[in-house]
Amino acid sequence: MVNSNANALGILFPNSYDSLVPDLVGERLMASIPFAGRYRMVDFMLSSMVNCGIDNVSLIVRKNYHSLMDHLGSGREWDLTRKNGGLNIVPPFADKSVKVYNGRVEALSNILDFLRSQKEQYVVMSDTNIAANFDFKAMINEHIASGADVTIAYAKEEIPASARQTISTNRGLYYTLKVEDGTVTDIYINPKDEGIQDFSLNIYVVGREFLIEQIHNAFVRGYSYFERDIVAPQLDTLKVHGFLFQGYIARISDMKSYFDENMKLLDDANVDALFSSPVYTKIRDDNPTRYIEGAVVKNIMAADGCVIEGEVENSVLFRGVKIAKGAKVKNCVLMQDTVVGEGACVEYLITDKNVTISADKEVKGTDTFPVYVAKYQVV
Amino acid sequence: MAKEMIAMLLAGGQGSRLYALTQKLAKPAVPFGGKYRIIDFPLSNCVNSGIDTVGILTQYQPLVLNEYIGNGQPWDLDRLYGGVHVLPPYQQASGSDWYKGTANAIYQNISFIERYNPQYVIILSGDQICKQDYSDFLRFHKEKGAEFSVAVMEVPWDEASRFGLMVADENDKITEFQEKPKNPKSNLASMGIYIFNWDILKKYLVEDEADPNSENDFGNNIIPNLLRDGRNMYAYHFNGYWKDVGTISSLWEANMEVLDPEHSGINLFDENWKIYSRNSGMTGHKIGSDAVVENSMITDGCRIHGHVKHSILFAGVQVEPGAEVEDAVVMGGTTIKAGAVVKHCIIAENVVIGENAVVGAMPTETEKGVATVGSGIYIGDNAKIGPNAMVNNNVKGGEEQW
Repeated sequence: MVNSNANALGILFPNSYDSLVPDLVGERLMASIPFAGRYRMVDFMLSSMVNCGIDNVSLIVRKNYHSLMDHLGSGREWDLTRKNGGLNIVPPFADKSVKVYNGRVEALSNILDFLRSQKEQYVVMSDTNIAANFDFKAMINEHIASGADVTIAYAKEEIPASARQTISTNRGLYYTLKVEDGTVTDIYINPKDEGIQDFSLNIYVVGREFLIEQIHNAFVRGYSYFERDIVAPQLDTLKVHGFLFQGYIARISDMKSYFDENMKLLDDANVDALFSSPVYTKIRDDNPTRYIEGAVVKNIMAADGCVIEGEVENSVLFRGVKIAKGAKVKNCVLMQDTVVGEGACVEYLITDKNVTISADKEVKGTDTFPVYVAKYQVV
Repeated sequence: MAKEMIAMLLAGGQGSRLYALTQKLAKPAVPFGGKYRIIDFPLSNCVNSGIDTVGILTQYQPLVLNEYIGNGQPWDLDRLYGGVHVLPPYQQASGSDWYKGTANAIYQNISFIERYNPQYVIILSGDQICKQDYSDFLRFHKEKGAEFSVAVMEVPWDEASRFGLMVADENDKITEFQEKPKNPKSNLASMGIYIFNWDILKKYLVEDEADPNSENDFGNNIIPNLLRDGRNMYAYHFNGYWKDVGTISSLWEANMEVLDPEHSGINLFDENWKIYSRNSGMTGHKIGSDAVVENSMITDGCRIHGHVKHSILFAGVQVEPGAEVEDAVVMGGTTIKAGAVVKHCIIAENVVIGENAVVGAMPTETEKGVATVGSGIYIGDNAKIGPNAMVNNNVKGGEEQW
């Protein structure tokens, strides 16, 4: 697991695809959405970068980033408290932010001076809507070996149904690729095709100097999106390489997929795949989870700090969840510090942080439409 | 800048009565309560009491302990000035020596203490499970105008002769000290936690060191000397949960008491007095569809497919289908294979219990032993480990050890 440095710096866009899950990002952003019991979405890409020897990572945030800053702190848990490089959170400049940035071009144009002053030869860029144990090292190596200007990571995936159904682009752009012998020969923007596609992961490796030049040129022309406005139009002049990622991917594309991706982790094989290298997160110093006399549990994943006295089946419990006596919890994703009161009965429910389900209440969603309860709500 | 009070934590003990569990690590590093080690308790108490400077005196098998403490960050003890310091014996111009006794260990680190120029020094021991507010102890010490105070617990009279006892007057002033006496005059047992005025402690340490007949021990030498000189000595009553986990059975018992915080008094769930520990970094634990979990504590990284009853499982324990675990303390990284039966025992870290093996047994009228398996041991398939066994070496498949 120990790697020498990757000669690359990382850039994460924590607000990308916020619009896909408006409920979950009411008071946060994509990157700080809780996932898999004790993690936040950002932990996966951040840990992947660190595990691949990238120790200079910038997060260009746009809005609602309080929860992310609280989560990341000085970056110690990810070993990113460094004198050189380390963790760098870039909020929008107040005087420039009359309009906060939309695409990566605007985001990156804000940090051009920073990029110019860095030493790493390459830049890797990623969103945080995908949880994966991503091998950046392999991708950088392919980028170097192929002599490409730009390398795009893609996976064999179906386009999420929710993405296919929407026509408007304000829910974020997505791309599929045409890849021939490792070379990307076409990029399709918001296609509606069914079946398995070469679906872009929006993870890029580029030369740092190249990126600075491209962003500078694009920004003065008023372009917004790196993929749409820089890479796609220049496919005939640039060498664009495709890197096929074959590892486990959990992609958040709407509330339903959020629910499903949590549930998929009840399968040990999926957990082993997603956590093939360590994933770091903020420590909460919870005590171990306690199963009290009367608890009946089947097929669950639970973090520390839970107290379980009731019945729980097919569910993912985040840190500090309390299930009181006689409560029945089935097919639920319960985030941090959710309390399910005595005799309450819940099914197909997603509760955000600190939700309380009062005693004897019954709340049921369905497998195709889980009910979501927002932060601090009392049902 | 002087510190009001710093802590010196005695962590050099071998813990020889824990046998297999302390072959490769010092007693304070012994895992406890699902995700802790014993030393987490005094360290967390320090931080929660506002003490930010702690010297940890190590000697026996310090590797695990050193790595565990690291820079002290998990306990918020990574400080610019102060923080946690591991203090092994070291060579000096005048020669070098192991720590000869508890008092000598502090004596050899007088220069460490003087760097912080404290008014008070609290001496802690690294082998107790206890949640205690040392700032309240210091308040008592100051109010009494004491030069030395010792924390005491009331113990049943019929057990008193097992302890070091403080005889005190109605103002809690200590008038006599009895070390494991036949005829106890008091039932106030010393917890081995002392607050000294630093000038007094230093004076007596220097004097003790000059005495060639001294055992250089707090209980046997320093405290009797203080009494001899009529110093202001007071007994601070502590009535919370306190357990010396120096033996296999008391360690097992203390772990089991964690499962019943409502009655036993050791509550790890207290938001206002958190016990900190170094994190395993593992994913949430998983309980399979084929598992039964009753009245147990389970932490990150565990995968449970068998039957777990009234047990404590540490990080990354695997219980395979059909395995039975009851009244057991199973430490981190251990695998209990299919069909194995593990009862009334302590299994140390990274042990493999083979398929259908049997370890320990529920106590009977005549047989109440706690079977113990040391760390890294492999117990073969169908092996049988009796309730009094202390397993230090691998056991081959089908063999028996009693």
